[in-house]
Amino acid sequence: MFPDVFPFIVNSPGMKFMNYIKRWFSSLARVFAREWHLVLHDQGVLIFFILLPLMYPVAYTLIYNPEVVTDMPIAVIDHDHTAASRKLVRDASAAPTIAIYDYVPDMAAARDLMARGEIFGILEIPSDFGKKIGRMEPTHATFYAQTSLLLRYRGFMGAIADVQIKDISEITASRASTLGAAGSALSGVPIGNEAHMLGDVEQGFASFVMPGIVVLILQQSMVLGICMLGGTSRERRRRNGGIDPLNIPGAPVSAAVWGRTLCYTVCYIVPALYLLHFIPVMFGLPHFGNPVDYLLFIFPMLLASAFFGQTLNYFVTDRESTFIVIAFTSVIFLFLSGLTWPRYAMSGLWKGLGDAIPGVWGVAGFIRINSNDGTLFENMTPWLWMWGLTIFYFITSMIVFRVVARRETRLSRSTVTSQS
Amino acid sequence: MKALWQSIKYGYSSLCRRRLYLICMIFVPLLCCLFFLSLLQEGLPVRVPTAIVDLDHSSMSRAMTRNLDSQQYVDITESAESYDAALGAVRAGRVFGFYVIPANFQRDALSGRKPVINYYSNMTYFVPGTFSYKGYKTLAVQATASMVQEAASEKGISDRTIEALVKPMSIDINPVHNPWTNYSMYLTPSFSAGVLELMIILVTIMTLTYEIKYGTSRQWLRNSHGSIILAVTGKLLPQTVIFTITGWCMQGLLFGISQFPVLCPLWVLALSMPFFVLACQGFGLMMSCIFPNPRFALATGTLVAILAFSLTGFSFPVQNMYGAVGIFSYIVPVRYYFLIHIQQVLNGTGLYYSRMYFVALIIMTFLPALMLWRFKHACIRQQYVP
Repeated sequence: MFPDVFPFIVNSPGMKFMNYIKRWFSSLARVFAREWHLVLHDQGVLIFFILLPLMYPVAYTLIYNPEVVTDMPIAVIDHDHTAASRKLVRDASAAPTIAIYDYVPDMAAARDLMARGEIFGILEIPSDFGKKIGRMEPTHATFYAQTSLLLRYRGFMGAIADVQIKDISEITASRASTLGAAGSALSGVPIGNEAHMLGDVEQGFASFVMPGIVVLILQQSMVLGICMLGGTSRERRRRNGGIDPLNIPGAPVSAAVWGRTLCYTVCYIVPALYLLHFIPVMFGLPHFGNPVDYLLFIFPMLLASAFFGQTLNYFVTDRESTFIVIAFTSVIFLFLSGLTWPRYAMSGLWKGLGDAIPGVWGVAGFIRINSNDGTLFENMTPWLWMWGLTIFYFITSMIVFRVVARRETRLSRSTVTSQS
Repeated sequence: MKALWQSIKYGYSSLCRRRLYLICMIFVPLLCCLFFLSLLQEGLPVRVPTAIVDLDHSSMSRAMTRNLDSQQYVDITESAESYDAALGAVRAGRVFGFYVIPANFQRDALSGRKPVINYYSNMTYFVPGTFSYKGYKTLAVQATASMVQEAASEKGISDRTIEALVKPMSIDINPVHNPWTNYSMYLTPSFSAGVLELMIILVTIMTLTYEIKYGTSRQWLRNSHGSIILAVTGKLLPQTVIFTITGWCMQGLLFGISQFPVLCPLWVLALSMPFFVLACQGFGLMMSCIFPNPRFALATGTLVAILAFSLTGFSFPVQNMYGAVGIFSYIVPVRYYFLIHIQQVLNGTGLYYSRMYFVALIIMTFLPALMLWRFKHACIRQQYVP
């Protein structure tokens, strides 16, 4: 009755627009429901969406959880054999990072031990070490550190510096007392200094690396799952003359990509909570930020990652090639995130490439909120970047959706003709 | 012999049919290697962005600020009004640490009231955190030493005695074989090898199990007269050649063009590559035998090869992992390649010390022979589970 009475309203541009909006939202809901069904009925995708975020961070934390490098074996070559040289070795062995493996007579024996991989450092004390201390002269010892692992080298450096500072202050004190009044004025240190570590107070390795890793796991597992869904859909298209029978027919492309994105984001609410909150709590990693801050912060990253995954779908032509196309990017993204090599030291090209990855901003912001007790407001820059990337990858995912549909149509036609 | 040749031809042509394989075998490993090289080309990420909180504003504190800025590791990018402001800069990611000179610093230092300098390093990023700490500490120690020296010369103590007092003992640290403590020299070769391993394992699994997925496995077996050994050898041998050449190109990039030091004969370096490639293929084949289904095998292969980057101890040493975790590092081929690399290339210890690692790689190559029957069954059944 309504259209008969007011035909001009039905055909007016405003009403057409209203109809389009209505259709858009109903398609969105149907795409969402269909994608939900596909996710729940695909074991491979469920592994990516649930098992991987569940198990991977546990495996990683177990690897890194010893946190610090301790008791690294070293050999001692003591040419001096005095009370002073023995005291130096005792002090070195008291350092938690160093363990005395053995005394050896000369450098050749020490090098052999190092070649066998039994020791990682050599402390050589020259024959005049003690004599020089007695003569009030500066005295030297030498430490050789293997550099195959910088974490070990870093540990040695800190330990040796501490030993040095301790012994220096003791020697200075005893010498100053022999100098009498003039010396006693010098024995006190005129300026004190105190070092403070922020964020990762114990300088543990898991505490440093895990807050970044969990964010990358969030992005990568989602991208893997999306690409597997996308690859499967492409296989269906190829089999069915370019049409995926499980797609919602007539849905606008923007509604199709948004419906999927919302589905994936909803799937990731629980994994995000688990990765960002429970993993740090379970393993005693730094965890200071306000949950409201970091959950609000991560939301645009989930959206951007969902669109990012649908964009990468361009490269994934079938279900299982997801692995070969996506897996290696985890390593690249890890480096681009600046976790191992800070972003301020990167060249413009790699910094720019990193800017285009949602997880890179996610890692930066989440670490500051989680470990440094920052707020969402202080991390506005990464947050806005991730919203920007959401828009950018929304557009690219629409383009990829069309391009993939056209390409699979062509491919399925060519296989049909070649078969006939 | 003829069957083997036929099988190799089959393997080669199936490899050429898909562009993705060639991209993954040649371009991805080489591009990743170039990526690491280019990203880490400076060797050390010096000049950490730092804030200074000068609450004293005296000539002494300004001199200290100048000295801090001239440190090798530190770059003052911000001058903050207070501790809170500097901490805010850390939380917003603008700086990685800050240095606080207290109020009345000059007055207290000169009158012997022992003012305390506080410095803060953000250890949530290890490398900049460590470097800022190093820079701050060096400055604080230097400042103390120079003040002691000044006070001592005022009291008429000779320079020699002062030196004996200020620095009576020192331990020189020598980083063996990497005197520049160049980050790239130890990180790039191992991570590139990790990527190569990942690609070898994945391509191996994919080419093998896709025969089942696309329903061609029976034909593939028939092609090599029903012998799974011939079939697998024919399929994997062309890949061995391509991957070995890719690996050699990688080594050429690292040790030739980038001139990373090599302390062993070049033939040892080159020799380790085919052993490594074969062991990775053996690992991939093993996965395909255990799970003769593309998705299962690829998922497990990816899981292990990605975890290998951490398990191998590129950054955190295996010796310090929990025993029950560290033991898993010995099931991945890249661990042995990494150890060979450390011993041969970085430390130049002579082939004798690495013999066991080569043996391990050889064992990994031939281990799947025990499980091949499983894969053969799957090929005959030819059943694809999505």
